[in-house]
Amino acid sequence: MANKFDIDPDLVKKLAELLDETGLSEIEFESTGRRIRVARPVAGSAPPITVNAPPAAAAAAPSADAESQSEARIGTPITSPMVGTIFLSPEPGAEPFIKVGDTVSEGQTVMLIEAMKTYNPVRATKSGKVVQILVGDSTPVEFGEELLLVE
Amino acid sequence: MFEKILIANRGEIALRIHRACKEMGISTVAVHSTADADAMHVRLADESVCLGPAPAKDSYLNIPAIVSAATITGADAVHPGYGFLSEEASFASILEEHGFTFIGPNAEHIDLMGDKVAAKKAVEENGVPVVPGSKGALETAADARKTADDIGYPVLIKAAGGGGGRGMQIVRSADEVEDAYRMARTEAKASFRNDTVYMEKFLEKPRHIEVQVFADGQGGAVHLGERDCSLQRRHQKVLEEARSPALNDEAREKIGKIAADAVRRIGYRNAGTIEFLYEEGEFYFIEMNTRLQVEHPVTEMITGIDMVREQIRVAAGSPLSFEQSDITFEGHAIECRITAEHPETFVPSPGRITDYHPPGGMSVRVDSGLYAGYTIPPHYDSLVAKLIVHGANRNECLMRLRRSLEEFVIGGIHTTIPLHEKIIENSDFVNGDYDIHWLERFVAGDIADN
Repeated sequence: MANKFDIDPDLVKKLAELLDETGLSEIEFESTGRRIRVARPVAGSAPPITVNAPPAAAAAAPSADAESQSEARIGTPITSPMVGTIFLSPEPGAEPFIKVGDTVSEGQTVMLIEAMKTYNPVRATKSGKVVQILVGDSTPVEFGEELLLVE
Repeated sequence: MFEKILIANRGEIALRIHRACKEMGISTVAVHSTADADAMHVRLADESVCLGPAPAKDSYLNIPAIVSAATITGADAVHPGYGFLSEEASFASILEEHGFTFIGPNAEHIDLMGDKVAAKKAVEENGVPVVPGSKGALETAADARKTADDIGYPVLIKAAGGGGGRGMQIVRSADEVEDAYRMARTEAKASFRNDTVYMEKFLEKPRHIEVQVFADGQGGAVHLGERDCSLQRRHQKVLEEARSPALNDEAREKIGKIAADAVRRIGYRNAGTIEFLYEEGEFYFIEMNTRLQVEHPVTEMITGIDMVREQIRVAAGSPLSFEQSDITFEGHAIECRITAEHPETFVPSPGRITDYHPPGGMSVRVDSGLYAGYTIPPHYDSLVAKLIVHGANRNECLMRLRRSLEEFVIGGIHTTIPLHEKIIENSDFVNGDYDIHWLERFVAGDIADN
């Protein structure tokens, strides 16, 4: 089963003494499958951590900008509840549900989202004033994509 | 040929499918849950669509979301990978109804093989040897008792609606039958919402040997050899190899031909695997999987055939690229499924990968979506990497596998790499001398050390 690593206290003591005598901060000793490292904590000696940055590819769904702009943005985003296509008006040619500056109440339908030929309401998750509309009419969106900002 | 394929899966298999598409010049759409927004295949795909929150039912099992994603991205076809919706006949039908090609068999065959009782009957009619058992479902406890007496003990009561070991009861004597029957039905109902059960002879020390088949629905059908998948823990495969150490060429050619002929006769299309139990020289059909399997790379390594590419070609309407006489088998391959679990307790170990260094070198393949800095989400199964190694013969393969496992670094989480290192040192494994119970016994400490 697991390899038994019998710790030899004399070896550890010897290595610790060597550390003191030589002024080294760390000694590592390895031989056929066994390894022991003795280190003296030294200020600022933590090894640098490197994280490989994985390749980034274009990830956004078509058209709409899904990244949240974190610089001084006013309002809370209302996000898409599903994958589908956004429609800003109840039917083609009609007035859009909302425009910038409108006051909306929680639960109010602000847009429609269509998926597999069925239309579902997008409801405001909070009450407030519409600050910005982030998607255009007939825009395909993914789950969680930001649709509008309400303050 | 398709211009754009939507990959309806995640993890290593999604990356596998993405790679095959890119090598064919096909654009990819990665659909994913919120938990997988940083997955490697999502980063690499040409487009990505977030389907929903992390739970599979809201994302990878969410048919309307996937169909919508295919619609808004203009995909031509959908590859379902394995697991999730890959064997959900309604998914295949709905996609076809909406004008997308489902990369896999048709819905009727998915349905047929999903019903274990119907599947057994269908393959038996087409020349495939089956486990002696009940003629269909067991309606009453008295039925069960009589059938068991006829077959001869021990027997196994199994759920018709699903596998994975759930709803199974072993019965060793007549007085146990009726209780076992009732328990099996209850468990089957809970696991699969279908309490239909049937009975088979229970084999004491079989091996699990499966045959990879491929057909094009146009009369072309081949087998791509067998895989030995006997090393299992709780009915999950842990390590697979081709070719099976238990078979000689005569036996493997015979069962390969039986499998290929059966799929040709039923007009099957695309990839599939016919799974057998093998004991004392006899094969017994257990089930057919109508999808690509996790362990397909083992077959790819010994045949040189890119199976995902072939799946895509067949789905696009091409006949098979090869006939049986074109297929050659070279050397030996082994796959280790590496999971994010403690190698002894199997407690799941999701979390952030601090270091990642996969092994390399000749004939070493790693299928994995891992990278340093990636965080494994806790919501899905624990498979994080597959290490597949090829050698000119089994010995060379084992040496290369040992070397590769030693090089493999996955820091920050527990993995089953140490378990694999122990398995391949054991003399039973080195001799190819194991059955489907061996790994459970090994893990429990019941197999003598080398």
